[in-house]
Amino acid sequence: MISVTPKKLSEHRVKLDLNNLSPEQVALEIKNLDLYYGNKQALQNISMSIPKGQVTAFIGPSGCGKSTLLRCINRMNDLVDICKITGEINLNGDNIYDRHTDVAALRRKVGMVFQRPNPFPKSIYENVVYGLRITGVNNRRVLDEAVENALRSAALWNEVKDRLHESALGLSGGQQQRLVIARAIAIEPEVLLLDEPTSALDPISTLTIEELINDLKKQFTVVIVTHNMQQAARVSDQTAFMYMGDLIEYSDTNTLFTTPAKKKTEDYITGRYG
Amino acid sequence: MNNWFKSGSPWVWLSAGGVSISLISVLGLLGLIAWRGLSYFWPADIYQFEMTDEQGKNLTVIGEIYERESIPASQLVHLNLNIDESAETIERLLIKTGNRELVSLDFRWILVPQINNTSLPTDLVVIERRTNGNFYGFIEEVILDGRVVAQNEMLQLVERVSDFQAEMEELQKSDIGAINYQIERTRLKERKHILDDTLTAQLQQEFKDKVVGLKADYSVLEDQLMALREKISRDQIVVRAMDGQKVTINFEDVLQVTFNNKLNVFEKLKMFFSQIGAFVSEDPREANTEGGVFPAIFGTVLMVLLMTVIVSPLGVVAAIYLHEYAGNNALTKLLRIAVINLAGVPSIVYGVFGLGFFVYMVGGSLDDLFYAETLPSPTFGTPGVMWSALTLAILTLPVVIVSTEEGLSRIPSAMRHGSLALGATKAETLWRIILPIASPAIMTGIILAIARAAGEVAPLMLVGVVKMAPNLPLDGNFPFLHLDRKFMHLGFHIYDVGFQSPNVEAARPLVYATALLLVSIIVALNITAVSIRNRLREKYRMLDQ
Repeated sequence: MISVTPKKLSEHRVKLDLNNLSPEQVALEIKNLDLYYGNKQALQNISMSIPKGQVTAFIGPSGCGKSTLLRCINRMNDLVDICKITGEINLNGDNIYDRHTDVAALRRKVGMVFQRPNPFPKSIYENVVYGLRITGVNNRRVLDEAVENALRSAALWNEVKDRLHESALGLSGGQQQRLVIARAIAIEPEVLLLDEPTSALDPISTLTIEELINDLKKQFTVVIVTHNMQQAARVSDQTAFMYMGDLIEYSDTNTLFTTPAKKKTEDYITGRYG
Repeated sequence: MNNWFKSGSPWVWLSAGGVSISLISVLGLLGLIAWRGLSYFWPADIYQFEMTDEQGKNLTVIGEIYERESIPASQLVHLNLNIDESAETIERLLIKTGNRELVSLDFRWILVPQINNTSLPTDLVVIERRTNGNFYGFIEEVILDGRVVAQNEMLQLVERVSDFQAEMEELQKSDIGAINYQIERTRLKERKHILDDTLTAQLQQEFKDKVVGLKADYSVLEDQLMALREKISRDQIVVRAMDGQKVTINFEDVLQVTFNNKLNVFEKLKMFFSQIGAFVSEDPREANTEGGVFPAIFGTVLMVLLMTVIVSPLGVVAAIYLHEYAGNNALTKLLRIAVINLAGVPSIVYGVFGLGFFVYMVGGSLDDLFYAETLPSPTFGTPGVMWSALTLAILTLPVVIVSTEEGLSRIPSAMRHGSLALGATKAETLWRIILPIASPAIMTGIILAIARAAGEVAPLMLVGVVKMAPNLPLDGNFPFLHLDRKFMHLGFHIYDVGFQSPNVEAARPLVYATALLLVSIIVALNITAVSIRNRLREKYRMLDQ
């Protein structure tokens, strides 16, 4: 039996008034967002501000729209033909759903890590520098440095430094997920979206990633979707509870888990449904 | 019984039986072709039969045994043979007697009961010649430079002559050929100037001087050639044929002299391999019924490679459009069905299309635009290797499109999303991630295309294949690769030798040998492609998720 007793990660939480953030404190501002898959409405009038340099978690039962909301932030929903979106998401004051937005540039600013590790069938090195090569960086020294920094930030450097040019598919699931995180942070995004990053991993790898998330918020704004309420409680500063496409409650993590304002939230975190 | 059915073993037996039948058919086919084809190269024993014919005349027949068969005795009653009445069947032999200048047919049937005596004389000689096929007989005299010399000098003589022959061929084909080509080009250049009305007196003089210079070179080479020919023509062999006639054979004609009956197994083996070597490296002779098939091998491989170069990018690009860019609507579905159905169109229809569209329309227009000086004789407006490759590329396009699309749809969307989420555009994702991962599937398509194209003959007969091409499509004259030339093809060669040849019996083993060669070449091309695919697969192996 492996006992998972994480150290208290969220001790230095700063309590923010989420309804009255100053513009400098806001990383992302979602305004009146509605999303339809065909005729079915999947998100209803979502408005929230995600603070800079903090970890914000989306929780809720399956199908509540938390992953959909996350995918709106880097416009991955554009890939779904029948998806229609109204409302605004502002990043640095610019609406990312503006007609003139360069989607590729947006995704370089808002990185994303998926549920299942999806390294490319290339070497570890090439996986990390993929985003940089796309932007035209080909200088060997710059790339080498970026690889080391990204892998160190993703707590993977020591494990792979001797086999950077071997296939990334030879890594374990947890290592692959950290590689994918390294790949995302190598291009230095402002926001990092994590879509249930540990749901396909074993408890030890999960723990490593959770510790990593805590380090990452020093450099990036992190938004994480998770199934696991303990995980949300451990890693996040703010938590949003969603249910059937509605944002039910959004507050700092301690408040949400100890004194939820809404009945639905309480039912969910006490395990009455979900 | 019921339990036996439930256990599933009947299905195991049934499927295993199916596999065995396929395996046996394939191996049987290959075995038959290989046996019949390879036995053609094995130096046969030369028999001498003393026999008495129906009229009671004694005669000698010399030759190789080609085939034995039994026929009902009743068929031969009218011949009044003095044979055992009770025998139901009589054996007869097909003998290759060669010596085509003495008898019009170089094969004859003899009846076994008429044979009085069979022997294998060791001094029987087989002379392989450039014309009139093999000669079987006994050497009487060897004449060198008009003098009779010892017979044991003959083998050195043959070697010397074959060196001269090689030299002459070199002179004729590359040196004189190059000069002829230059003269023709100069003439065409001059004509082009005349057509464009830009021919000045100075240019005309230049062309004239050039042609005069080339002609001077030509006459020098011609003299060399004549001298060589002269040297060879003074050497002769006098041979005695089976009926006692003496025949004089010029060394010029002789390719090889062997005493088959003297050879031991190792010498025969050596000869066997050298015959195979000659078969794959030499030009055909005697209306393709003798000699090698090198131009046909070359033509087949070149055409298939050209086809591959054309069909791969075309098919991949089409598949990418259909799968990645075209909207998922009725029109795309219709297009996809059309592409799949295209694979079912009979190949001769593609041949007709190629002839009408590529050769006459595209080729004719090319001639009008760029090769006006050679008209009325066409350059590209006539069947040629390029049109053949293009026609087969169209023919195999559906295969490449379908398997590439299949490969594209098997790639997990996580790969695409991973790349897009890193700020890559769709095109960058395609180029850097999707295409490399799909490359094994693309290779599968190319393998299938090669397999289909290499065996295709019918359409080629309309768009570029000929019985005998004077030049290879690749030579030492600029621009080296002559895509407008007609070419020879192994598949067509099989058809031509087997069914269009005047000498059916002589051609039959050649059909098998050529078929074996064609199969081996297709297998070799496929193995190359498969090994490339396996390396790609290993490289882009996906996770077993």
